[in-house]
Amino acid sequence: MRLDLTMHVTQEGETDVVVRRDFSHPPELVWRAITEAALIRRWMAVEPWPMTRCEIDARPGGTFHYEWAGPDGASFFFSGPVHVVTPPHHMEHVEHFNGDAAMASHVTTDLVAISGGTRMTMVMRYADAAARAAAIATGMTDGMAEVYGRLDAMLEAGL
Amino acid sequence: METAVTALDQSFAALADPTRRAILARLAQGEATVQDLARPFPISQPAISRHLRVLEAAGLIETRTQGTARPRRLKPEAVAALWHWLGQYRALWEARFLRLDAVLDDLAAEATPTKGTPDAP
Repeated sequence: MRLDLTMHVTQEGETDVVVRRDFSHPPELVWRAITEAALIRRWMAVEPWPMTRCEIDARPGGTFHYEWAGPDGASFFFSGPVHVVTPPHHMEHVEHFNGDAAMASHVTTDLVAISGGTRMTMVMRYADAAARAAAIATGMTDGMAEVYGRLDAMLEAGL
Repeated sequence: METAVTALDQSFAALADPTRRAILARLAQGEATVQDLARPFPISQPAISRHLRVLEAAGLIETRTQGTARPRRLKPEAVAALWHWLGQYRALWEARFLRLDAVLDDLAAEATPTKGTPDAP
């Protein structure tokens, strides 16, 4: 069976954002790629924002810190505590954007073996509907910055 | 449909400016007055007001009248609509997951070095 590798993002209830994605490798491998800093670095970087810090202690009581720096000297980071870790299937951590506890989300990641690979489900739960809207708006503007950065580069290159 | 496209064009134009994006990010944390919004930026209040007019015309923010104060706030439905329409968050994670696919392929290849592809060197 060929897996459908399309990502699905939905807003559920008042507070949740749910991301679902299938991978054509077993949960043990996906688990390594999402919990080992050297591997995370290889897929979390976003042009033109190289990852300047990538640390994770994927154990209960551990912490993580992912940071990116932009071409104009700006930077942003996600960080927080790791609460629940059950390799290679389940992790729960709290994520703060730029150290702002007001924008915290509780993230539950599940990896389930399916025919031909793994189904990853990430549930990001915010404090309330307003916090979710705020997180989406910030994510959106960061994404826009990237898009316009690329557009600038394309225009400079004469498309 | 034409109305929706025009509104989207306006939103794009409104978001093309880094100061306006920063204003939106600030408003995402809660409503704020022009004075609040002007404080972190090295530009004048009238300049901020001009940016706010662009954002309001694009339907991204609204003004609430509270006595003499006129705090601005995000229009959540506009932001949600933009989010779905533009799918920026989606684009970011889709790009990451495509790279994650490649990382997983590499890991799997490392785990089974004898199972090389026929055309491998």
